[in-house]
Amino acid sequence: MDTLGEIKKIIMELLDLEDDPITPDTYLIKELGAESIDLLELAVAINSRFKIAVKDEDIFLTRFRLYLTEATQKGMDNAPYIAGKYPHLTNGRIAEIITHISEGPQLKVKDLVSYITNQSKGA
Amino acid sequence: MKRRVVITSMGVISSLGDNDGEIVKNLKERKVNFERPVFDSDVVTAPVANFNIRDYTGRFKDGRYLSRGAKFAVAAAMSAIQYSGYKKEDLAEAGLFVGTGPNLDIGGEFPEIKEGNIDREDLQALWILKFLPNTAASIIAKLAGVHGENLTVSTACSASLQAVGEAFRKIKAGHLDSAIAGGGDSRLSHGGILAYKKAGALYAGNSDPDKASRPFDSNRRGFVPGEGGSFFLLETLEKARERGATIYGEICGYASSLDAYTMTAPERDGKWGRIAVTAALREAEMSPSQIDVISTHGTGTLLNDAREATLIEDIYAGCTPRVIALKSWIGHTSSACGALELAISLLCMRENYLPEIRNLEEPCHEDINFIRNGENSSFGTCVIENFGFGGQNSVLVIRK
Repeated sequence: MDTLGEIKKIIMELLDLEDDPITPDTYLIKELGAESIDLLELAVAINSRFKIAVKDEDIFLTRFRLYLTEATQKGMDNAPYIAGKYPHLTNGRIAEIITHISEGPQLKVKDLVSYITNQSKGA
Repeated sequence: MKRRVVITSMGVISSLGDNDGEIVKNLKERKVNFERPVFDSDVVTAPVANFNIRDYTGRFKDGRYLSRGAKFAVAAAMSAIQYSGYKKEDLAEAGLFVGTGPNLDIGGEFPEIKEGNIDREDLQALWILKFLPNTAASIIAKLAGVHGENLTVSTACSASLQAVGEAFRKIKAGHLDSAIAGGGDSRLSHGGILAYKKAGALYAGNSDPDKASRPFDSNRRGFVPGEGGSFFLLETLEKARERGATIYGEICGYASSLDAYTMTAPERDGKWGRIAVTAALREAEMSPSQIDVISTHGTGTLLNDAREATLIEDIYAGCTPRVIALKSWIGHTSSACGALELAISLLCMRENYLPEIRNLEEPCHEDINFIRNGENSSFGTCVIENFGFGGQNSVLVIRK
C-alpha cells in the first residue's frame, strides 16, 4: 500500500470512520473533526507504522501562525521563512495555506503524506 | 411533598441477552451461557457472546479508549437512553452515576512486558484512559450530552448498586430530577481470571460448566465470573407521570456500609451487612415482613453464602421472603452485578416470574425459602443485596 493508502487506513481506524471520505485534500481538523488527542494518537501511529521520527509541531503545522508572526516581526518574507521551518511543504502548498489561514485549521491529509515522504528520505 | 424516585428505562447487556424479551425467555427456557475460557480449562466463565459496542452506540472514535468492561457500561447506558424517550436536550441537566471496576486485562494491554518495560512504539498516546475509572462516565456524558451531578463508584462488587443508590438519593433530596445510573464490567481476560484464581475465590474443577455456579448449595466451590452491564433512567415519579413514561419500579430505600474487617472475607457475624439491610428497609419505611423477594449477592463462595444466609435468617426471622440468586444464571459480573441483578429483578417483577436458583441441590440453610423451581408468581417488593471485596455492603429496596 502507498503512503496515502496507509495514512487513510490509520485515520479511518483512529476516528472510527465507516465510509472512505478521505482524499489528499481532506482537512483533518475542519472536515474530519480530529481533536488534539486524535493528533497525538496519529503521531504515535505514524511513528510506529513508518518507523520515522515524528515531531508533532512539524507534522501537524501547529506553529504555522506563530512562524508567520515571527517572519513579520523579523521583517522577512512569509513564504521563504515558512519554507525553512517546514521543508516538507512545497512553495505552492505554503502559498495556499497562507491564503486560507483565516478560514480555520488548514492541515490536510496530503501534508501528512509530504511529511512522511520527506522524513523517510532523510532516514 | 416527599419526592419519589422511579425507574423508567433500562439497558441491559448480559449473557442472557440484551433486551427484556430475550432475557425473560432465556430465564424461562433455562438457557444460559457458561463455558471454559481457552486459556484456562480449570475455570468456568459466563461471557456475553458476540458483543459489539457499535450495535448500541454507532461509530465513535473514543471507543478506542474503552476496556471491555467500560464498553459494557457505555453500551448499556446508551441503550437505556435510547429506550427512555429522552432527547439530548432533556439529558443536559441529568446526573450520571457509574459503577466501574479496574481494567485487569494486563496481559492483553501489554503483551510483551519484559523486565518491567511496558513501552512499545504502538502504545496509544493516551493509553492511560484505558485504566482511569471515569473513562466510561466521560464517554457516556459526551455521547449523551449529560452535564449534571455525577459520581464514578469503584467499590468492588457493590459499585453499581451503590451508583444506583446514590443517584436515587440525589433525586430524592432534590439535587437532581433525573439521572442515568448503573455499571458495566468484565474480568474474563487472562489477567482478571488470574487475579481471582490466585485469591482462591473462583470455582475450579472439571464438572459440567453449567453446574459450576451453585449459590447456597452445600457443594458450592467458588464463584463463576461473568460480564455485562446495565443502566437505568431514574426520575421523579411526578416527572415520569407527566411524560407518560412506563415505570419499571420504584426505588424506596438504599443503604451502604463497611465491614472494616478483612480485605476480602465478609465479616463473620454479618453485623454490618445486616445494618445496611435494616437501614435500607428503614428508608423504605418497610418492615422485613413486607419484603416478598430477596435478590441475594449469592456468589457461590463458601464464606459469602454462609454469611448472607445467616443474615437473612436473622433479619427475616418469622417471615418467609422468597430468595433468588441471579449469579447462578449470569455468573458474577463484578462491579456490574448490582445493576444487572436489579435489571433482572425488575423484569421478573414485571413478568410475575421467579427463576430458580440453578444447581441448588442441597441448600446450605434449611429454613430459607430458596426458589428451587422457576415459578409464575406475583411479587410487589424486592430487596437487592450486594457485598464486595473490602467489606463493601450495599442494599436497595424496590417495589412495583
